[in-house]
Amino acid sequence: MDAQQSPDLATPDIARLVQPDRVHKSVYADPAIFDLEMERIFGRAWVYVGHDSQVPNVGDYHQALIGREAVFMVRGPDGAVHVLFNRCPHKGARLVAFPAGNVGKFIRCPFHGWSFRCDGGLHAVPIRDGYQGTRFDINDADFSVRRLPRQAVYRGFVFASLAADGPDLESFLGGIRSSIDNFCDRAPAGEVAVEGGVFRVWQQSNWKIFFENLNDTSHPMVTHESAVNAARAEYRSLPPGTKMPFQLHIIEGNGEPYEFWDKLEMVAFDNGHSYMGAIFTPPTDPVSLAYIATLEAAHGAARAREILQVQRHNSIIYPSCSPHTSFQQLRVIRPIAVDRTLVEIYTFRLKGAPDSLFQRSVVYANVVNSPSSVVMPDDIEVYARCQEGLKTQGGDWVSQHRDAGRDRPIAGGFVGNGLSELPMRNQFRAWAQYMTQDA
Amino acid sequence: MDTARLHTVSAFLFHEARLLDQRRWHDWLDLFAEGGMYWAPLTHDQTDPINHVSLYYEDALLREVRARRLEEKRAWSQQPVTQAARIIGNIHLLADTEGDIVAVSTFHLLEWRRSGNRMLGGHYTHRLRPAAGGLRIVLKRIDLIDCEAAQETLETFL
Repeated sequence: MDAQQSPDLATPDIARLVQPDRVHKSVYADPAIFDLEMERIFGRAWVYVGHDSQVPNVGDYHQALIGREAVFMVRGPDGAVHVLFNRCPHKGARLVAFPAGNVGKFIRCPFHGWSFRCDGGLHAVPIRDGYQGTRFDINDADFSVRRLPRQAVYRGFVFASLAADGPDLESFLGGIRSSIDNFCDRAPAGEVAVEGGVFRVWQQSNWKIFFENLNDTSHPMVTHESAVNAARAEYRSLPPGTKMPFQLHIIEGNGEPYEFWDKLEMVAFDNGHSYMGAIFTPPTDPVSLAYIATLEAAHGAARAREILQVQRHNSIIYPSCSPHTSFQQLRVIRPIAVDRTLVEIYTFRLKGAPDSLFQRSVVYANVVNSPSSVVMPDDIEVYARCQEGLKTQGGDWVSQHRDAGRDRPIAGGFVGNGLSELPMRNQFRAWAQYMTQDA
Repeated sequence: MDTARLHTVSAFLFHEARLLDQRRWHDWLDLFAEGGMYWAPLTHDQTDPINHVSLYYEDALLREVRARRLEEKRAWSQQPVTQAARIIGNIHLLADTEGDIVAVSTFHLLEWRRSGNRMLGGHYTHRLRPAAGGLRIVLKRIDLIDCEAAQETLETFL
């Protein structure tokens, strides 16, 4: 391929953009590739919509984006959650306006008052007489709010797909189901619920740069040096013998040396999913101990230990979200343009756990995931610098060489050492599969 | 309204704004009373900072970490640093509470860093405690008009 030109988007050329140990810069910087991703990745994959607990009552809705499609999920009187396009079939107006809310008994369009059931079906139109003898038919799906071709729920996590065909949700998730399972199993009642508000943060960079960073263990000690130094200096200023406060601990953890990260395990699955294992150290702080007591009361000590020993840093559910199970966070990644990404951060309550555990998750969210985080701005800065650098003629390829060729196959994926760039290579393995598949 | 008291509070708020505009973080930190909090809610009319996330909810420990980080040489997102200019107006004193003064005001905050100006704005609510050497901040609450919108990063103090 001519390095100076935007690649032709014929399938064989797309395939040449991804090599086993490097990818072409255009996958991050070319708007035409972004358009194709919207069609071939976000038009096909299961994309996260929201959590069941965000719409507890009949008529509750929550808006989401699937690729470029504005959708919302709404709770029907039958108890089911329906995922619908946010478009009135009459004149095209968006039906719901707030990020989340309640439609009442019916979804009513603010323009001409057509009203719909929560499954999207047309309920009533005003001045019905005018439609006599026309092709309008109240029972014709063309006059209902269109449903997403497919929707499915896994342990309360609602996904939808713009494609009518494809693997079912559980097959799509494959091995990464274990992260969702552990997220829920950590709740003494076996269920989680979104609570406490949602952060929305802009990134001036391509969505894939963030996904790669989520399992990138060689960046924290470099990117986050300022926050780590500040937290350590603050700790040194506290009276000697003080136990490191939680707030400092979660910042300072980014300063662990390479040897620490390399001992962790990277596990990557088909379809781009992966997780970064963490080391389980039995906690001694009062918040954790009170929580563990509730988990043991629910399941017994042996099962509780089994659940807690599944320690993971970020898991990646490609291409739409990333749970952090130990601190009950979920980051949802919405690509807006080739160089602009919206990230939503949700905090979950483990049902049956003490309030103090949820309140600690709120502290974690404030310190690590807020737009005012002292950790995140340096991430967002380096992502933007990548986006700017990739536009230049200073080189055509992005390296993913670290531990390339040393990934060990397992059922449904690969495993590697903690510093391996396996998760990035794994994401592009899925990316190439989606992108080289013609419509 | 006690004109002398309004004058004292206004002078305090203008001084505070100047310290922040000049990035004199440690002088600003000293304005807080012991146990004082700095809070920017995420939603309009938010009452609970404990069970709900906030744009900022910082005690002395977290404020100091932020100030220290802003002075780090390798704070990549402060290359260049955030430049800021604030205007505070519409200062109004509410009834005193337990000896504290509660002042509400409106602010415009113009910021520049690397790619154009950003305009932030909203309302401050200061709960101030008279102490030896002047007023001290018991609570500074910042209600951004767009607190519920998606945000670019907020790096310094509002």
